[in-house]
Amino acid sequence: MQSEPLDPGLRKPWNFVLLYKYLVLGFVTLLIIAPLITTALGGFKSAADLRTNPFGLPTVWHWNQYTDILLGIDYWRYMGNSMLISAISVFVTLLCSTLAAFTFAHVKFFGKEFIVGYLMVGLLFPVATAILPLFVKVRDMGLLNTYWGVILPTSAFSLGMSILLMRNMFEKLPRELLSAALVDGCGYIRFFWHITLPLSRPILATVGIIAFVASWNQYVLPLILLNSEERYPWPLGIMEYQGEFTTDWHLILAFVTLTVIPAIVVFLATQKYIVAGLTAGAVKG
Amino acid sequence: MATVEITNIEKYYGGYHALNDINVDIADGEFVVLVGPSGCGKSTLLQMIAGLETITGGELRIGGDVVNYLPPKQRDIAMVFQNYALYPHMTVGQNMGFSLRIRRDPADEIKAKVERAAKILNLDQLLDRFPRELSGGQRQRVAMGRAIVREPQVFLFDEPLSNLDAKLRLSMRTEIKELHQRLKTTTIYVTHDQDEAMTMADRIVVMNTGVVSQIGAPLDLYDRPANTFVAGFIGSPAMNFMDGTIQGGKFQAANGSSWALPSDAKVTEGQRCTFGVRPEFVEAGGDVAAKVIVTEPTGSETQIVADMGGEHFTCLFNERIAAQPGDTLKIGADPEKCHVFDIETGLRL
Repeated sequence: MQSEPLDPGLRKPWNFVLLYKYLVLGFVTLLIIAPLITTALGGFKSAADLRTNPFGLPTVWHWNQYTDILLGIDYWRYMGNSMLISAISVFVTLLCSTLAAFTFAHVKFFGKEFIVGYLMVGLLFPVATAILPLFVKVRDMGLLNTYWGVILPTSAFSLGMSILLMRNMFEKLPRELLSAALVDGCGYIRFFWHITLPLSRPILATVGIIAFVASWNQYVLPLILLNSEERYPWPLGIMEYQGEFTTDWHLILAFVTLTVIPAIVVFLATQKYIVAGLTAGAVKG
Repeated sequence: MATVEITNIEKYYGGYHALNDINVDIADGEFVVLVGPSGCGKSTLLQMIAGLETITGGELRIGGDVVNYLPPKQRDIAMVFQNYALYPHMTVGQNMGFSLRIRRDPADEIKAKVERAAKILNLDQLLDRFPRELSGGQRQRVAMGRAIVREPQVFLFDEPLSNLDAKLRLSMRTEIKELHQRLKTTTIYVTHDQDEAMTMADRIVVMNTGVVSQIGAPLDLYDRPANTFVAGFIGSPAMNFMDGTIQGGKFQAANGSSWALPSDAKVTEGQRCTFGVRPEFVEAGGDVAAKVIVTEPTGSETQIVADMGGEHFTCLFNERIAAQPGDTLKIGADPEKCHVFDIETGLRL
């Protein structure tokens, strides 16, 4: 039933708090959307149009720039490579970090805190400083110019953050759930599989998205570790549009726009769980 | 169904001695309640029986087999937890059938067992609901259902009613007792509520600071408490204690009152001891004077807290007594219903 205000005259004409919220949210949205729209529109412009009119609508809509990319074989190869590297990286990251986080959260053993601390130090470790030793190591392992040569270091760099997030989540699960599962006949592995993982979908989605985006946007590692264009992921593919003296910015913008799509699709697919993760606390035992 | 034998059980957490030489023999089909204040080690003992805590010393047998080093799943026990510990992502039916599914029982057998247990507990309408859609009492029944579908040798209950409101607690208490009478499974039940212990148990194990204070049938503990701790813990309102000495065949309390001794008290003239009187056995019309502080009539009975030589003294009368604060009340007690304890050791004399 809708309730009428007792005296309409007393109602505030403006809800300033709400207005303020919308203004701030609108501003933040603009900050995120504006570059995306500029990029997408830039892909429709000619090089000259882009130079003279970087932010406006295109004077002539060059649809062919998008269709050329979509119909060309290179785009799909780069996307395929990126997709393969990212998907396997996410899988490896989730597999290793869930198992490690579960062990850290539930199993008591000597030196646990030390190992956790060691992993956390990895969070502070910038990729740039690791490049040379990483290159040497990957070369020695014979993984140069292979997908695994990129996948393994990428996953390794995601592990610190992933384990940190997951361990917190696993530790928040009520202790009695473990006890109940042990009494019900589970061992640690079955508890992990039947109870912990299904209850951790929000954090799996969150960690998965973080790992996916990190791997999707990876530029430096593939640049160092991959030599052949056949294996390039999309960030390296952009180089195709960069000559020695000129850069086809309008084509790069069209290309970038198209590469953002898979990341958005993955986000939309996992969004439900991420939101569920934010509203959690529903696990009340 | 099985016996549970707890022999010389010890538990250390580092240097802290949590359980000290615990000995309890539980007969097949018996309902034993472990009761004691927080931190007395009762839950630790239960967890050790379940296999969720390691046993530092001693021997634990279930059904005659030593189970000290067996994991919980091999002990054939089922446990009900204080906060239910239902799996939030499973429906009621899945929760109840989970242990059978883990055991790889055939699906139709699982279904039949779950439905039978659900019927016993009036859960048959709720099998497709999730735990979050249930009330506290329903959740607790699901937790019990999860335990009974297993048909285990022993049921363990860890304060299962403390999260429920007072009214529900009473009805669940009856349900659990009824269930035990029906299934006749050996049951070990932990609670800090002496009312629950008294009403449900075949035998009560009273624990205090990691040791067993006394084991006995509820009314034995009530009638013949072995020490001041059990005397004070069992019975509500709690027993009145007075320190004093034996003079002229009577107990002369430090607060000035004088009490006749029970005939079986083994005391000597001049011995210092503690005298205990249960509030419900205080009678009006004796020769001990007490000054009324508070009167609390409940209709069926009247509780009066009085001042006796600077100490509080609680009386519970079945009749209605029109005493006002400040009035002096003459009271007494049947000596055979009073208790004498050693003042140093607290043991019954």
